[in-house]
Amino acid sequence: MNSNKPLARIALTHLVAKKRQTIVATLGVMFGIAIFIFQAGLITGFQTTFIDKTINTTANIRIHNEADKNRKSIAGKLHDPRKDWVVVRNQKPREDDLKIRNGNEIVKIIERHPDVAGVSPFLASQVIFKMGIAQQAGFVSGVLIEKEDLLFGLSANMKEGNTTRLLTIPNGIILGAGLAEKLGAKMEDLLSIISPMGVTLEMKVVGINESGLTEVDKTRAFVNLRNAQKLLQVDGSYITDINIKLKNIDRAGELASEFEKRFGYKADDWKTANANIFGVFKLQNMVTSLVIASIMIVSGFGIFNILMMIIYEKMPDIAILKAVGFRNGDIKKIFLMESLIIGLFGGILGMGFGFIITHIVGSIPMNIKGFVSMKYLYFNQSPAFYVTAFLFALLVTGIAGYLPARKAAKIDPMDIIRSK
Amino acid sequence: MNAGSHILRTIGLNKFFHDPVEFQALKNVNVSIEEGEFVSIVGASGSGKSTLLYTLSTLDTGYSGTILLDGEELGKMRPDDHARIRNEKIGFVFQFHYLLPEFTVLDNVALPALRLGKYSEEEIYSHAHEKLKLLGLDDQALKKSSKLSGGQQQRVAIARALINNPKIIFGDEPTGNLDSKNSETVFGIFKELKEKFNQTILIVTHDMGLASRTDRTITLKDGEVVSP
Repeated sequence: MNSNKPLARIALTHLVAKKRQTIVATLGVMFGIAIFIFQAGLITGFQTTFIDKTINTTANIRIHNEADKNRKSIAGKLHDPRKDWVVVRNQKPREDDLKIRNGNEIVKIIERHPDVAGVSPFLASQVIFKMGIAQQAGFVSGVLIEKEDLLFGLSANMKEGNTTRLLTIPNGIILGAGLAEKLGAKMEDLLSIISPMGVTLEMKVVGINESGLTEVDKTRAFVNLRNAQKLLQVDGSYITDINIKLKNIDRAGELASEFEKRFGYKADDWKTANANIFGVFKLQNMVTSLVIASIMIVSGFGIFNILMMIIYEKMPDIAILKAVGFRNGDIKKIFLMESLIIGLFGGILGMGFGFIITHIVGSIPMNIKGFVSMKYLYFNQSPAFYVTAFLFALLVTGIAGYLPARKAAKIDPMDIIRSK
Repeated sequence: MNAGSHILRTIGLNKFFHDPVEFQALKNVNVSIEEGEFVSIVGASGSGKSTLLYTLSTLDTGYSGTILLDGEELGKMRPDDHARIRNEKIGFVFQFHYLLPEFTVLDNVALPALRLGKYSEEEIYSHAHEKLKLLGLDDQALKKSSKLSGGQQQRVAIARALINNPKIIFGDEPTGNLDSKNSETVFGIFKELKEKFNQTILIVTHDMGLASRTDRTITLKDGEVVSP
C-alpha cells in the first residue's frame, strides 16, 4: 500500500486549515524543548563548575583524627544498658587531642604510594584577624606551601603576589580575596592574628588568593605550618590533617578505606566530604526534571486539544474517507502524522532556539558572587540534551496524538451519514 | 445468464435495532441485483430502505442471514476487509456530496484510487480527468471543491464513486438535495452509466417518478419486501 502520501496530504491540509492553533501548538513544543535544553544545560553546567572548583579546594582524601563526641560515661560502661538506666548529666567532653601521631612519617609513607600524586600536612586554627580597628573571624591553614600548591593549584588562583614568597618571608600570610577586602588589607600590609590560645602573631600580606568559592575566600588565609603550630602552642610535629591528591580521583573511595585501615585515622574521600552538595544536586536535578516534564505535558495538552478540534470539525471527511475504503488504521495514521508533524517542527525549532538562547545568555557577563563566583553562566552544551529533548518532544506529541487518533479511527461513518 | 451474473444477493436477511427499543428493521429480505441492472428501493420513511442499502454496502453490520457481493460473503469479514470491498467494488453517492472542501475537484475524485494504489499517481490523475470529462466537469478539475455549485458537487461525487470502476454504485437519495433540473441531470447520468457502461446501480429514493424510470423497483414496507 503506497497510500501514505494521500494520508500525509490530508494531515497537512488539516494543519494548514487550523493555521493559528497549529502555530501555537508548535510554539508550545518549541518552548518546551528550548527550556529543556536551557535548564539542563544551566543546571549541569553550574554543577560541573561547582564540582570543578570544589575538587580544587577539597582534598581527594583527607585523613584526620575524629573526636569521639558520643563518648560513653564511665558509669555507662560499667552497666548493661539493657538492664539499667544510666543518666549522667553535664558530662564534659574529654580533652581529645586531634593530633595525628607520627604525622610526618605517615606523610612520607603515603607519598611513596603509587596512586598518590601529592600529600600535604595541614594544621588549621580559628583566629581573629585584626588590622587596625578592623576585625574579622576566620581560620588560618598552616601548610607547607609547595606541597599545598601541588594539591590545590594555589599559585594559579593568586590574585596578587605569589605563593613562593611564603617560603622566603617567615611571617608571610596569604589572604582569601573576600577576607582581604573585608579587612581592607593590601599587599605588604601588616596585620595581627590572634588564636584561641591567646597567641598573637604579626603577619605580612604576601599574596591574595581567589579560589572562586565565595564562602571560603571570605574566611581563609594560608600561613606556614610552623606559624600555625606557634598559634596553637604545639610542637613541630603536630598536624591534624593530611590532605592527599590522587592520580585518579575515582579511586578516592577505595583508597580512603585502605588508608583508614592502615593508619587507624579517619579518612574521608571528596565525595563523602561533599555529600550534602551532591544531595542538593540530586534535588536540583529532580526539580528541573519536574519543571521540564510539566512544560512538556502542557504542550502535549495543546496538541491533544487541537487534534480533538480538528476531529470534531472533520467528522464528515472522516466518514467519507472510511466510506470510500480508507481503513481505521489509515485514519489513525492521519492524526498521528498531524501530531508528529507538530512535534517534529516544534522539536527542530526548539533545538535551534535552545542553542541560540544558551549562547546568548552564556555570553552576557554576569559576575555572579553567590555560592561560587563566576563571570559568565556556563551552559553544558552536551549533544545528549538536544537528542533527549528531541526524542522527548516526539514521545510527548506521539502520546498526545495517539488518543485523538484512536478516537478518530473509531468513528462510525454511519453515525455521520445517517444524521445528514 | 447464469447465477454468476448476480452482483448482489441476499438470503434471509434480518436486522434488529436494540436501541432505544427492540425493533426489527429488516425481515427476511431476499433480493438479488444482476449485472448492469439499475434498481431502486422505495418505501415510506422508516420502512428500512436506507438500512437495507447500508447493510448491503458493508457500512452497517450486525445482521443475520447472508449477503453475497460479487461472490464474496460479507458477513464473515473483518472491518479492514469491508474497507477493501468498499474501496475496490463499491461506489457511493450520498444525499450530501461529502467532498473534502480544501482539496481540488481532481484530488477528491482521485482519493479512493490513491488508497487502492493499483495504478501510478500519473495514471490515477489521468483516470480522474476522464471521469470528470464524462460528467462534463473537466474544466473544473483544479478548483477547490467548495467553490462548486451543489449540482456540480454531486456530479464530482459521482465521478469519485466511479474512479475505481466499481462493481456496483450505491446511491442514498442521490438527488435528494438537488433542485429538479440538477436532479434530472444526475438521474440522466445514472441512466447513461447503465446504458453505455453496463454499470450496476442501486439507489434508495422516495421520488416515485424517478423510481418508475429505473429497471426495477423494490418496495419495502416495515422491513419486508412487498414487491420483488
